[in-house]
Amino acid sequence: MSLSLENLNVWIKEKLFDAVPMGIAVIDRDFNLVLANRAFEQMFGRWSGRKCYRVYKNRQEVCPQCKGAETFQDGIPRVNEEVGYNKNGMFTRYIKHTIPIVDNQGKIPYLLEMCTDITETDQIRREYQLLFDQVPCNILLIDRNFNIVKTNARIKEMLGDLEGGYCYQGLKGLDSRCMECTARQTFEDGQLHTGHHVWKTKDGRTVHLHVITVPLRLHDGSFDMVMEMAVDVTETIRLESGLNFAHTFLKTLIAASMDGIIAVDDQANISVFNSAARKLFGFEADQKIATDDIMGLLPKGVSDLADFSSRHLYLPDTTIKTTDGQKRPVRLVGSKLMMEEKSLGMALSIQDLSEIKNLQNEKLEAERLAAVGQTVAGLAHGIKNLITALEGGMYMLNTGFGKNNLGRIEKGIDMLTRNIDRIGLFVKAFLGFSRGREINAALSTPGDISREVVHMYASSAQNHGIKLSHEQVSEIEPAPIDYESMHECLTNLVGNAIDACIVSDNNTRLKVNVRVFEEDGVIIYEVTDNGCGMDYEVKKKVFTNFFTTKGLGGSGLGLLMTKKIIQEHGGFIEYESEPGQGTVFRIRLPRNRLPQPPVDEESITATASSQSQNLSNPWNGEERLESEENK
Amino acid sequence: MLKTIMIIDDEEDIRTYLTAVLEDSGFQTCTPEEEENVIESLQRQQPDLILLDIMMPRRSGISIYRDLRTTSGFEYIPVALISGIEKASGFFSGEFKTLMNEMNLKPPDGFIEKPIEIKQLIDVVEKILETKGGAIESIA
Repeated sequence: MSLSLENLNVWIKEKLFDAVPMGIAVIDRDFNLVLANRAFEQMFGRWSGRKCYRVYKNRQEVCPQCKGAETFQDGIPRVNEEVGYNKNGMFTRYIKHTIPIVDNQGKIPYLLEMCTDITETDQIRREYQLLFDQVPCNILLIDRNFNIVKTNARIKEMLGDLEGGYCYQGLKGLDSRCMECTARQTFEDGQLHTGHHVWKTKDGRTVHLHVITVPLRLHDGSFDMVMEMAVDVTETIRLESGLNFAHTFLKTLIAASMDGIIAVDDQANISVFNSAARKLFGFEADQKIATDDIMGLLPKGVSDLADFSSRHLYLPDTTIKTTDGQKRPVRLVGSKLMMEEKSLGMALSIQDLSEIKNLQNEKLEAERLAAVGQTVAGLAHGIKNLITALEGGMYMLNTGFGKNNLGRIEKGIDMLTRNIDRIGLFVKAFLGFSRGREINAALSTPGDISREVVHMYASSAQNHGIKLSHEQVSEIEPAPIDYESMHECLTNLVGNAIDACIVSDNNTRLKVNVRVFEEDGVIIYEVTDNGCGMDYEVKKKVFTNFFTTKGLGGSGLGLLMTKKIIQEHGGFIEYESEPGQGTVFRIRLPRNRLPQPPVDEESITATASSQSQNLSNPWNGEERLESEENK
Repeated sequence: MLKTIMIIDDEEDIRTYLTAVLEDSGFQTCTPEEEENVIESLQRQQPDLILLDIMMPRRSGISIYRDLRTTSGFEYIPVALISGIEKASGFFSGEFKTLMNEMNLKPPDGFIEKPIEIKQLIDVVEKILETKGGAIESIA
């Protein structure tokens, strides 16, 4: 059966009270709860016979500023936000409407209180507010008149209190709207708009922001406010511009460097190949270069750097190949690029040494010329002696005839003959020396040369009771040396050493030792004897003229020739000597000053064949003469 | 009395030549033995003048010069140097000068260049003997 209107009234009277989802209670003037609905009971629990302040707030007495008391007083309905405890003892927020129930006499015996629990809503609201204020972003709400309705805490800190003012004024200090106003755009089309803005803070700083503007729509889709979210990008911009600067600076540095700079990433792609590097290798300015192309032109150490665990590479004197097959002397420094134990690739710096090598060659040339100059001075002296002797012979002859002194005449002829012969020897020796021998540098084993010289003198030394030994402790890599010439030098030195022992009046066992070794890239021959040694004057003269202590026999060219040969090899010769104690002669051959080896590096040319082919050697005849005299 | 001149030179032919020239000009000559110490031979016989070849590699002319100038009793004997290298050439005289400065030696009393011009030789010798002759007698 349908519900009639009368029945409806009855239902409203009887069922509405408990059906309403709002908590409803009635209190009397003593604050007793006299009536309450189901919703109230669900919110606050048992209420019958209890005081309102106990039920709402767990209090023992009337609340200070009790709204109910006020309404009892003045009969004015009120709405308040209250806090209390629900039936489970949990903290609760609720909105309470307090309405006086007035009787016929106008007195107020009861109050009607209606409560709505807003705890959850309140929680959400608080969370929202926290977000609004604390998000690392500046947020403001702007209305259609471009007034700032609300700002979050960040903006308050940065710019002060702007609410109510115009956005262009408060944010930028302008008198009118900005040209690029994102708020205007959003107001016009209701879409999200972004832009870049610059604000001035209250302490005068300039701040750059990336701004996003969105419409703040109501439930029906309309909106009268937009929300602007502005992110501070000042720091990012600063870093970006710093990075750009650093990048440009580095690029310029690399491009301008006179040394070749090459960088390869960990995928073995070339990331840097500056113009100096292109010049070094002979690549065109716009030519594409692949890693494989370049690895073949670099010295072996570079691929080792890439593959193995070593981090650094230093080749002070190495060569690279150019694209047209030439070799170029360079200094190369390489480093693996690491970041936290991970390899990012490697970088190479290559310095062209061609210029320096040229200067070194010129220096060698100058040294050679200086040696020749010294020789000429010494020559002059030798010739003068010869001339004096010849003049002496003539004098003897002439005065002998004048005095009829046969003895003198014979003597004179004797002197003339002897010295004329000596001129012949002298001239031949000088021509041989001055014509110079071209050094035929070919890869030779240094130890072989000295061993052979020692072997050559073995029996002679034995005959004189001299102990002759050869000493080589470790292997020496082959080097570009003229085998024949170096053989001659060592022959000269060993011969002198043996002679020094022969004339010595040392009582100790006489010995000559030939030692060959390498130290710091320098090949060294040492010839040591404990023979008669040299005194001060002999030492001063030993290299500088046609010097011999061996009387008329030697042409005096041995040591001078030795010095010249060593200079031709870019080497040095030095000696130490104490009279009566012995002498050390030392030949030092720095590898990086040795003459260029022949193109084919791999083969070691047979020394015998190079000797026999040296047909233009003016010494061929004289060599035999020298060695006879040396014995 | 005939003046005696000591000739110190490594080359036999030059010794022969100088001896003949000086004797022909009326001097007496003596030459120390090759292996002998010059100072020892001076003790046997003091000459009036010493001719010294400074470029003698074997017996190092410079050290002999030093000995002559520093040995007491003989430092007054005049010494003339014979050399195949010109006085003016930097190479030799530079070193010689340095040595003299280092060792505080008296400079030579005369200097004769090779090849030897006989007239120059005799002139130098006579000049030295004229001026220095007296000094030696006073020591003896």
